[in-house]
Amino acid sequence: MILFLDTASSYRIVSVFDGTKEIITKLEKNDIDLSSKMLPLIESTLNEASIKPSQIDKIMVVTGPGSFTGIRIGVTIAKTWAWTLKKKIIPISELELLSTTPFDGDYIVPYIDARRDYGYAGVYDQEGNLVIEDSHIKRETLLEKLPKNKKIVFVTDDQIEVPYPIVEPSIKISKIIAKHIDDEGVNPHECNPNYLKKTEAEENLEKGNLHDPLRD
Amino acid sequence: MKKTYILAIESSCDETSVSIICDGKEEIATVVLSQMDTHANFGGVVPEVASRMHIENITMVLEECLEKANMKMEDVDAIAITYGPGLIGSLLIGLQAAKTLAYLYGKPLIPVHHIAGHIYANNLVKPMEFPLISLVVSGGHTELIYMKDHYSFEKLGSTLDDAVGEAYDKVARVLGLHYPGGPLVDKLAHEGKDTYSLPLPLDDDSYNFSFSGIKSAVINLSHNEHQRGNEIITENLACSFQNRVVEILTKKTMRALREKNVKHLIIAGGVAANKGLREKFTELCEKEDIELTVPAMKYCTDNAAMIGAAGYYAYKIGRRADLSLNSKATDRLQ
Repeated sequence: MILFLDTASSYRIVSVFDGTKEIITKLEKNDIDLSSKMLPLIESTLNEASIKPSQIDKIMVVTGPGSFTGIRIGVTIAKTWAWTLKKKIIPISELELLSTTPFDGDYIVPYIDARRDYGYAGVYDQEGNLVIEDSHIKRETLLEKLPKNKKIVFVTDDQIEVPYPIVEPSIKISKIIAKHIDDEGVNPHECNPNYLKKTEAEENLEKGNLHDPLRD
Repeated sequence: MKKTYILAIESSCDETSVSIICDGKEEIATVVLSQMDTHANFGGVVPEVASRMHIENITMVLEECLEKANMKMEDVDAIAITYGPGLIGSLLIGLQAAKTLAYLYGKPLIPVHHIAGHIYANNLVKPMEFPLISLVVSGGHTELIYMKDHYSFEKLGSTLDDAVGEAYDKVARVLGLHYPGGPLVDKLAHEGKDTYSLPLPLDDDSYNFSFSGIKSAVINLSHNEHQRGNEIITENLACSFQNRVVEILTKKTMRALREKNVKHLIIAGGVAANKGLREKFTELCEKEDIELTVPAMKYCTDNAAMIGAAGYYAYKIGRRADLSLNSKATDRLQ
């Protein structure tokens, strides 16, 4: 059985699949209390479906991009679980998850706003194959990169202005499970968040600006 | 009597640490992974970088500790976790790991206040005797605590602004010393003379402290001297700063001991390693017949062993948390 966890977006999701068959899915709107509510949600979800943690063979976890803190909560739970019960983790992109939203067109662009005209985005086709890799990208640059001869649709929760139709996310976890069920998975020690962005302190250091704690 | 083994996790700042402690006093195994070298590049702890490093290392530190102890998760009786205070993003990593383990193994989860941990580090040296007064001095905390028994904390006072260790690191930066410069200031202070006029910070009837003013005084003095073309005598400025800080810390602590009629003093936290502070307290405590305990160096800085020691006594009095436990950046010690 596969345990699927997503804490990267505006919803927290716990789902259990037996092969590609969905057993149970619980989804709650995220609030500031994700840290206190995620494990209780996992516990109640498994209890409701009468599944014991020991029955879980693999963990699929969304590793980002998205809220840094949000991602870390899901990934820490997945890492600890998989490490201690000797399981593998299959890391999933939040953008790929968003791209499972049904759309009318050739390509879908899952987009997560990252402020200052930047966003996290990738480009996927109808089968969920990656056309342009996920990245932290300036919106202008993204728009320039998009193929001109294709029918493109954006999927996002955020208020953005783009010259393409925008659809609201309506994710299909079953699609992700079907696509990745046979992935080999990674050692839990090596499963880490996929932020797609360095910290500001690291960026500044590369530019040669030392972080000045005296100004804190 | 059956022994109680506590697995403790600490990740409140820039150390990822896991420890297994028996009966609150015997250290079975401890692993501490410090991020200090990384943060030194930035001149101080960067919270987002700290969180990122905690998550990369948490399962490896857990594994190493269990291997070192030659124990399995099934062998531990309870899981103790630093829930706060500290950097929220850092705390969250240890917290989620602890809650996951508590859930999977059905073990009790014990929430431990970081300051309680610093105090209980002393129990790993020798059994604490009550009543006692504890001065907790570190990069994040400056608190004076009265304890009439195990797990009974009465805060007498604390810093109103910068923690003492924070002031040390900032002064070190003004003196051109590499982060974390606190220990270097202490070393320089021993080579210098008290020649600079600096104020005794918050010299009043309370048990509170304030180190922001003296830090600013050092910064201003240094700037003014530079503008006048005068060279700063680094050792002397370090000595003058340290003398003032040590004087106010010892003055208020000794007064608390007298007023509360307490004969046991324990010093805790990273700044407990400060030689100037240890020397002065040793001298004053001898004079006033106070028994002084200072933890070994390895227990002064953040570590999970101290959380396991505190966690044992919290466990004994029935402190428990469920899976909804959250981290807290600030919280009262109780």
